[in-house]
Amino acid sequence: MLPILLAVMLQTPAPSPNPAPRVRHVRPPKVVVRVDGGDDDTQYKANVDTTVAVTRGARLDLNNFGGDITVKVWDKSAVRISADNSDRERVDIDVDQQVVTVRTSSRYGAPHMVSFDLTVPAWMALDLEGTYTDITATGIASDITATTVQGDVDVTGGSGHISLNSTSGSVKLAKAQGRIDIVTVNDGITVSDTKGDLSAETTNGDVELTGIDADNVSATTINGDITYDGTIKDAGHYSFSTNNGDVSVSVPQTANVAVTASTFNGDFDPCFPITMTGSHKHRFTFTLGTGSAKLEMESFGGDLKICRPGEVGKHHNGRNSNKEKDEDNE
Amino acid sequence: MDRWTEKLSEYLDETLTQGEREALDAHLATCRECSETLDELRRVVDRARGLDDRPPSKDLWSGIATRIGSGTAVVSVDRARTASPARSARRLSFSIPQALAAGILLMAVSSGAVWMSLRDHQTPVLQPSPDSIDIPAVWQKVDASVDPVVDSLRKAVKENGPNLDTSTVRIVEKNLAIIDSAIAEARRALNADPNNNYLNHHLADVVRRRADLLRRVSTLGVRT
Repeated sequence: MLPILLAVMLQTPAPSPNPAPRVRHVRPPKVVVRVDGGDDDTQYKANVDTTVAVTRGARLDLNNFGGDITVKVWDKSAVRISADNSDRERVDIDVDQQVVTVRTSSRYGAPHMVSFDLTVPAWMALDLEGTYTDITATGIASDITATTVQGDVDVTGGSGHISLNSTSGSVKLAKAQGRIDIVTVNDGITVSDTKGDLSAETTNGDVELTGIDADNVSATTINGDITYDGTIKDAGHYSFSTNNGDVSVSVPQTANVAVTASTFNGDFDPCFPITMTGSHKHRFTFTLGTGSAKLEMESFGGDLKICRPGEVGKHHNGRNSNKEKDEDNE
Repeated sequence: MDRWTEKLSEYLDETLTQGEREALDAHLATCRECSETLDELRRVVDRARGLDDRPPSKDLWSGIATRIGSGTAVVSVDRARTASPARSARRLSFSIPQALAAGILLMAVSSGAVWMSLRDHQTPVLQPSPDSIDIPAVWQKVDASVDPVVDSLRKAVKENGPNLDTSTVRIVEKNLAIIDSAIAEARRALNADPNNNYLNHHLADVVRRRADLLRRVSTLGVRT
């Protein structure tokens, strides 16, 4: 049974019941458009700006060492790639019916900074990656994967599987739907007006989730506050955990939810009258309605608040808000 | 773990004597923490029933089993109840911290490179860190399981250092310090209240988070 037990404990959140379908294509013969390339030094050309036609269902795969990536949409079945590279950097663009691949390289040694402005069809799935890269995408209606080491990720839109990662940077997501996974380490996470199962994890930063419509939500941080203002659906599971910070959660009046609130050094402070079904040491439990949903709130060193929708912000003092992050910037 | 929680797994397996079961029923009626622990165990078992029972690779499993060792039995899952009749009955029991540690270990070693280094890793003579000396015995056993893995991950991160710039390394170190501080806090609290269900889970969670961060950082240079 232990293998099963381990699998249970390591199991990732269940996929959204209705994820956006991924478009699949039979791979056609590859057609390569090398906009700028070859080993000949004369192939290095500054300020690449080109547009390539794409077939519906193709995705964009861009890996950039340093420099911003900005993506917006238009209603053409084409991708415009505009880069601010010098003639010391080369931009290679490969196009086939499944994927548009964009890579950069440098004439001398390590790659330099190249910023990209891309315009793509809204249906195009994005796979964006960088090291010293801020990533911004707006208006996409497909899967989005965005990964950076030092940089912020700011996405408006997205549908399907949305995976946003940074090591040292904030992550913001708005107006998305689907299954959402967000991880950063040294900054905060902000998600708003979004529909679908959501997992948000950081180490040193706040997690602020507002306007969320989801059956399953998980948010964790070590040093930061957590705010959740969204649905509490029957049979849903909502889990919020921090070590050093406050947790503030909105619970609609009509919610059917069994609540467990645990804090070691903090207080539990509901904004409305509740009847405890259990209070043991640092753990409080109570049930609203039928108790169909499960809500877990945990803070080792901070306070726990439960309020009505729209009220959590009023009671949220944000005492840890990016304190350590600010020190980094000094 | 008290004498009641030690019997919860047998309670689920329906292997207690009639008298033991009645006594535990009476205790559960008055002890919310035990009831919640029982509910959590039920959820684990229920979720386990929905999964395929696929054995892990021999190398992986032997390494994890060695590091877990044997200890207080709390969580017990009777495979015979969930398996098909054709399968042979097998039952393994683990304490909650041990089971959580197993999860931490498996997550930590899922990076192929790290695991390769672990395969040749001699289990060291354990030197308890200063903040682990007074924690409950079961958690010292967990430390014995997890510490070698964390050491290997730290080594992997250190070896990966040249692939990372100094500011990234500084940020990683700062965040590891934040997690280490959280672990130390949780251990101090657990030392004062060793049976606290929340504290046991909280400590397990922050330990997992440390392994997860180390694993993530150990692959940064590879990916980028």
